[in-house]
Amino acid sequence: MTITLYDFELSGNCYKLRLMMNILNLAYEVVPVDFFPGREHKSDWFLRLNPFGQLPVLQDDGLTLSDSGAILAYLARKYDASGLWFPKDAAVTAEILRWHAIADDITATASAARLALGYDYDFDIDKTQKGAHRIFRIIDEHLWFGEKQGRDWLCSPAHPTTADIACFPYVMLSEEGGISRQDYPALRRWTDRVRRVPGFTVMSGIFPAGPAR
Amino acid sequence: MPLSVSDPTWYPIASSEDLPFRHVYQGQLLGRELAVWRADDGNVNAWENRCLHRGVRLSIGINEGQELKCQYHGWRYANRSAGCTYIPAHPADAPARRIENRKYPVREAYGLIWSAANDDLPFTGFPGAEGGDWFALRPMPVNARPGDVVAGLAGLAPDDQPADVMQGLSVRLGNIVYFVQPVDADRAVIRGLLAGKPADPIATLRHYNEGLTKLRDRLEKAAARKPVPEKLSPIFEKVSADLASMPDIAIPRGATLPVVVKRKWQNADGVVSFELADRDGRHLPTFQPGAHIDLHLPNGLVRQYSLTNGPGDLMSYVIGVKQENASKGGSKVLVESVRAGDVMAISEPRNNFPLRRDAARTVLIAGGIGITPLLSMSRFLDQSRLPYELHYFTRSGESAAFSSELTALHGRVERHVGLARDAIRARVSQALGPYEFAHHVYICGPGAMLEMVQEVASGLGWPDEAVHFEYFQNDKIIDQSSAFDIELARSAMTLHVPAGKTILETMRDAGLTVPSSCEQGACGTCLTTVIEGEVDHQDVYLNKTEKASNSCMMTCVSRAKSGRLVLDI
Ligand code: FES
Repeated sequence: MTITLYDFELSGNCYKLRLMMNILNLAYEVVPVDFFPGREHKSDWFLRLNPFGQLPVLQDDGLTLSDSGAILAYLARKYDASGLWFPKDAAVTAEILRWHAIADDITATASAARLALGYDYDFDIDKTQKGAHRIFRIIDEHLWFGEKQGRDWLCSPAHPTTADIACFPYVMLSEEGGISRQDYPALRRWTDRVRRVPGFTVMSGIFPAGPAR
Repeated sequence: MPLSVSDPTWYPIASSEDLPFRHVYQGQLLGRELAVWRADDGNVNAWENRCLHRGVRLSIGINEGQELKCQYHGWRYANRSAGCTYIPAHPADAPARRIENRKYPVREAYGLIWSAANDDLPFTGFPGAEGGDWFALRPMPVNARPGDVVAGLAGLAPDDQPADVMQGLSVRLGNIVYFVQPVDADRAVIRGLLAGKPADPIATLRHYNEGLTKLRDRLEKAAARKPVPEKLSPIFEKVSADLASMPDIAIPRGATLPVVVKRKWQNADGVVSFELADRDGRHLPTFQPGAHIDLHLPNGLVRQYSLTNGPGDLMSYVIGVKQENASKGGSKVLVESVRAGDVMAISEPRNNFPLRRDAARTVLIAGGIGITPLLSMSRFLDQSRLPYELHYFTRSGESAAFSSELTALHGRVERHVGLARDAIRARVSQALGPYEFAHHVYICGPGAMLEMVQEVASGLGWPDEAVHFEYFQNDKIIDQSSAFDIELARSAMTLHVPAGKTILETMRDAGLTVPSSCEQGACGTCLTTVIEGEVDHQDVYLNKTEKASNSCMMTCVSRAKSGRLVLDI
């Protein structure tokens, strides 16, 4: 049974799934969807897959799934034998889902600014940029105190979780939306750590990090 | 007081903990963006945040431990000197060593990293800094004018204990000193130092972080009601042409620099090592893997020695010298009479043996003391996590030099001890294998071995461009049968060079003082600029491009194809 990803190469939300599947060493097929400029995610055939008209969509085992955060949880639960990426612990589950929601906030701000600047989308650039800075400030503070307490990742376990995958892409792509990360040194250090996770893969605009010492 | 882009004051630009190993911190001071990174030797570099090539930010580059690599095109810059060590696809696979990025002064003290716009003032810390134990608070970036931030901090003081506003946008409030880093006209970072380590660090950090967050929110609200100040616009003076231009081929012009022998030790049976350092403890010039220096010996001779150093390792140069019993002077003098503490003169490093870093496979073959340039290359490949194989042939285990350095490498290092000629040949052939695209081999060792490896490689289909070697001796038979005239442009002299006599000898006979060393076309000491005429090169020093340029020659072995040569002497 092959996994099929309906994918747009330059979408950070699609990249989250490619990244997760690469880390979990899963084979999958890609169906390219012309999100820009073709707006194929609003075409009839696509809306039949996902009535919300959003990428990504993933098919596996006769299931058709949408929403990147939900799919991340699905992939981790189903294919991560270590159980680390989406642990069963109730408190950790709540923590991860909290960050999946924050990932959506990042999409609504940093990614929206990027769509406005690079993809002709009609969003209020100033408002989306300000919104992204507000979120980045909070994440930077969270990560800064985390480092002080020996925590390297967004959630409390001593290893990355789907929360880190969910938040990572649009943080990395923020410059394309005119949002500098200069004021967020702890956030920048965290992106280095994510880029060093074994199985990490790149997309256009997201570079690899050099090896750690 | 308005901010000035040329303000020489030292300001903190980061916390020490902002610079973990293998990370590049993005900072800004007085409008200038900085790429700040800690090298594996602990040294902190504060550079202009752009690659000289296309201005791409270096803060998204890769910190390789001793070099910073630009993400986009792969240009590399060395720790300490900011000298560019590698330009992909450059004709010689190697830039002139003078290409340097702009550096800013930098110091690490009291848990903070400090920098200044220029070198006009020495670093002095702040009043009362010495002897104290300082604890850095979480930095707080604020979108407000630096002056307003200072006023805001001063306003935190209780009425009965007014704040002490000090030099350099700093404010002392009881047992805390706050520094305001002027990022730009409208942006600042508050960096606090607390005297003494608190009993509960996390609770203390949270406490001050909360207070500063409130202050920031107030300051930003107030700033939003004021007109936006004009941004500081630092002038990015172009790096001087001398530093940034890429001469076709850099030809050393006899400039030397003094170094002190820091250490001399028996490295292996028959090999003595010397560590040479700047007399004032500054870094030495940037070099490339495979580079050598000319060492001026006490007896007036000049000898060439390869550097064994790894990338960005500029605090001293380490060379290995072969102890030859029958040596007529060169290494004998060095081994017998030069001691630790002696001062010697060396040239800037020059590279005739450039290493390609775009190879799919790199094979390094060393014989005896030929290990020295290949050790340097291995260290570069190691740091860049590029695959390589090093084969080191020695007569006996005791004669293998730099053993501990070789053990520290991560690549495939094979030592071959005491093999007979045929066995060496078979081993080399096995190591090379049939040629494939983008495979490169580098050889350094005795002349006979060099020729043997070249022969084996060509038999296995390796093209000349993939086989790189360095001679320390010219074994060719020199043809001295031609006769011609030389015109010495600067000395206003015309001399006849008869068959059987070298240009060098002819000039000396005419009373000129001209430098030489090996007198066999291998070392480069007698290098001379040619103004006119066609040269018959017979040396092994110049590379093909240099020879084809017809613009320089070695007067110890080269002759003329034309009837007349005009030399810049
Ligand atoms: S003296 Fe060495 S090359 Fe001429």
